[in-house]
Amino acid sequence: MATDLTPSGGAAATVPKSSRLALAGRATLELGLRLGGLFVAILVVGAIFSYLQPAFLTVDVLVSVLRAMASVAIMALGLTLVIVVGEIDLSFAATYGIAANSLAVMWILHGVDIYFAILIALAIGAAVGVFNGLLVTMLRIPSFIVTLGTYNLLYGFSLYVSNSSTFNPAYPPTGHEVPKSELSFFTGLTKQVGSHQLSLEIFWMLGLALVVGFLLHRSLFGFRLIAIGGNPAAATLARLPVRRYKILAFVLCGVLAAAAGMLDFSFIQTVQPDIGLSSTFPVFAAVIIGGASLAGGRGTVVGTLGGALLLATLTTGLALLAVGPFAQQMFLGIVTICAVALDLFATKLQTRTA
Amino acid sequence: MSPPAESQRFGIEIRGLRKAYGDTRALDGLSLSAESGEVLGIAGPNGAGKSTLIKILAGEEVADDGQILVGGEPWSPSFAAHRVAVVHQEPALFPNLSVAENLLVGREGTHVLRPRLRREDRALMDELGIGSSARRPLSLCTLAVQQRTEIARALARDARIFLFDEPNSALTQEESGELFRELHRLADAGRIVMLVSHRLSDLVAHTARVAIIRDGRETALLEGVRLTQEAIAHELVVEAEHAERAVDDARAVRPSERESDGSRAILRVSGWTHRDGRFSDIAVTVRSGEIVALVGVEGSGGRELLRSFAGLERTQGTIEVDGAAGDRPVRRRTAYVSATRELSLFTNLAVGQNIIVRLGPEIAYGSVVLRPRQIARLARDAAGRFLVKCRSIAQAIRSLSGGNQQKVAIASAMAKRPRLLVLEEPTRGVDIQSKAEIYRLLGGFAETGNAVVMFCTEVTEVFDAADRVHVVSDGRLSEPLVVADYDRIEALAREISKLERHGQTLAA
Repeated sequence: MATDLTPSGGAAATVPKSSRLALAGRATLELGLRLGGLFVAILVVGAIFSYLQPAFLTVDVLVSVLRAMASVAIMALGLTLVIVVGEIDLSFAATYGIAANSLAVMWILHGVDIYFAILIALAIGAAVGVFNGLLVTMLRIPSFIVTLGTYNLLYGFSLYVSNSSTFNPAYPPTGHEVPKSELSFFTGLTKQVGSHQLSLEIFWMLGLALVVGFLLHRSLFGFRLIAIGGNPAAATLARLPVRRYKILAFVLCGVLAAAAGMLDFSFIQTVQPDIGLSSTFPVFAAVIIGGASLAGGRGTVVGTLGGALLLATLTTGLALLAVGPFAQQMFLGIVTICAVALDLFATKLQTRTA
Repeated sequence: MSPPAESQRFGIEIRGLRKAYGDTRALDGLSLSAESGEVLGIAGPNGAGKSTLIKILAGEEVADDGQILVGGEPWSPSFAAHRVAVVHQEPALFPNLSVAENLLVGREGTHVLRPRLRREDRALMDELGIGSSARRPLSLCTLAVQQRTEIARALARDARIFLFDEPNSALTQEESGELFRELHRLADAGRIVMLVSHRLSDLVAHTARVAIIRDGRETALLEGVRLTQEAIAHELVVEAEHAERAVDDARAVRPSERESDGSRAILRVSGWTHRDGRFSDIAVTVRSGEIVALVGVEGSGGRELLRSFAGLERTQGTIEVDGAAGDRPVRRRTAYVSATRELSLFTNLAVGQNIIVRLGPEIAYGSVVLRPRQIARLARDAAGRFLVKCRSIAQAIRSLSGGNQQKVAIASAMAKRPRLLVLEEPTRGVDIQSKAEIYRLLGGFAETGNAVVMFCTEVTEVFDAADRVHVVSDGRLSEPLVVADYDRIEALAREISKLERHGQTLAA
């Protein structure tokens, strides 16, 4: 074996210059390959629906697909951060509920200023994240258990603060009043604009996706989040702020869930204690279909959006075909399993050829 | 314990065993033989192929080539008869089950009912002195009881071949005495017993013959009057010709040739005591330009002492790194690399990302926005400087060879520009060429006003890379040996093993 120990000689020989920008380039390529399948699947599903039901391929239906995915996608963005760092959050749906319900109670029953009430509701979401994060990182309770507990705890809180009643700011209970200007501000958050009734909630989703996308893929925070999720023990030894970043991931997840809850409240205009609870599994499905690994260290914002889009396409399409709710549930199950199976297969193929 | 069914003598013969992992040849035509009733010692440096041999005999791995004969008949680990029982350093049992249940797993003899302990099983446990712990969950038992459970499990399955893998490295003096009595009883009852150990004194005291394994082959067999600690030490450290030449290059820039007196103290500890008593009242100073090795058998406290310098153990006493005291300043000035690459590398990140993973402000504007060009530049520079052989820094870290992975791990630690590098077995499982390169890099690092402390299990590593070496035994630090005082590695090895023994006799 030749012994070339001169550093300069080695440098030129070992790492070609072309790899200067390759880090980002290759990551993008890999992402494209992995996500390519997902978007092909969305197109195929869309094509099948258009064939079966020509009404599917209209702008109005597409807009309603986007609307249908908005709140799921916003929650899924937060969940992606938690899953990338190698933890699980089961409580986001209850956070969604507590945020919407406490907003309603503060605003409608107690006359709290809407702007202030929104801030408090977001703070509640953050507080839930801090609570989850502290229990997971300081007491080392598995996040699955912590957040399962938080889920029930928060649902109980929602029942308590709302006194198990339904609220609609347009029709406040007798003896209470909602200022007209505040009402129009609140409903204006998700106002439908343009000739196709494009809800502003879609733009909230896109805006938040840009923010989370920047955090996860373009910031130091996201880079370390991925590293920590990939190997928490090595991250600790490398002195990365493991605990702080895990807590931050839970906080962002809580805040995004609270935001989703309020946006849906604004759009639907009614809120009841169990609002959002049924979105737990669709949100998880969106993240997993999007290619995030439950083992941590892997997940993308584009993937998660794609997962949410695929689910919304399926839900809307099946509803148009009027196949009945059982088929929707079954398709959700089949798609989740197939997506993960395909991803595993693709990964295996990739490592074999590499 | 039940005597073997008949008094027939039999032996195990291993012929030309080969096993490769990718490009690495773990076993390269290994041949060994052992007779019933004897204790065969097996010794070899790290990476010599001992653990591969154990895995093959235990049926965890399949050899690429070669033959294993037991009693003259071809044998494979899947045969129920003549099963090989491995008694591990860390017993491989079911920690959630009780001692008795561990004995039963796999031979329950029932498909429906909860399995029950037979009378022979009870007798066996009593004989091994674990009858009183029968109902205790294994996870709450001492290591010695766990090992006995492993032995009992093997005896209950009528295993004829026992392989002890560093069995007493974490046992107390008394416990290991017990263990060796057990080992001899097994041999006296006509079983084949093999003992893999790093402790030369144990090999000499408890075995009739010692086979030395190096580079996947048996290189020497010591018995009778030739079986002495010095002889084993000699066989262990004699390196092949080509290896010596590669390392000579590394020695050419050894820091010992630089003057180190009068230079700044990089690490200074005093009254340094482990909270759980693994070491106590250590005082040591490491100056800039120095590479200091710590050596100690498993359980001596050496590994813990090293980790404590990186703030990874609970300690009392004072520590100063580059003149700074206090938790944060010390942490900022030290970087640690673990012995296992599972704990130093991120497999979901590329080569380049692994190199810069410890950096913060250097790779992001305002510690927020990543700078991809800067990252690629830093990573490429470091990969070049550390002679990491890769096609591109965007390559998956797992596609690199072990030696290059280790270079990435060390590069990552050095990227943070620490003053003190704390390394645990810096070249474990690394090929000889990469070893020499790593030693050169460490020398270069120390030369620029820094210091390196490393924990070593191989004398060759001390001889090739360190300026001085402290032997840790029973939580105490020996006086340093200056490596430059030794022309030949055998002399250094003898001195080190003398100091190790000294500590053991003190404890006894």
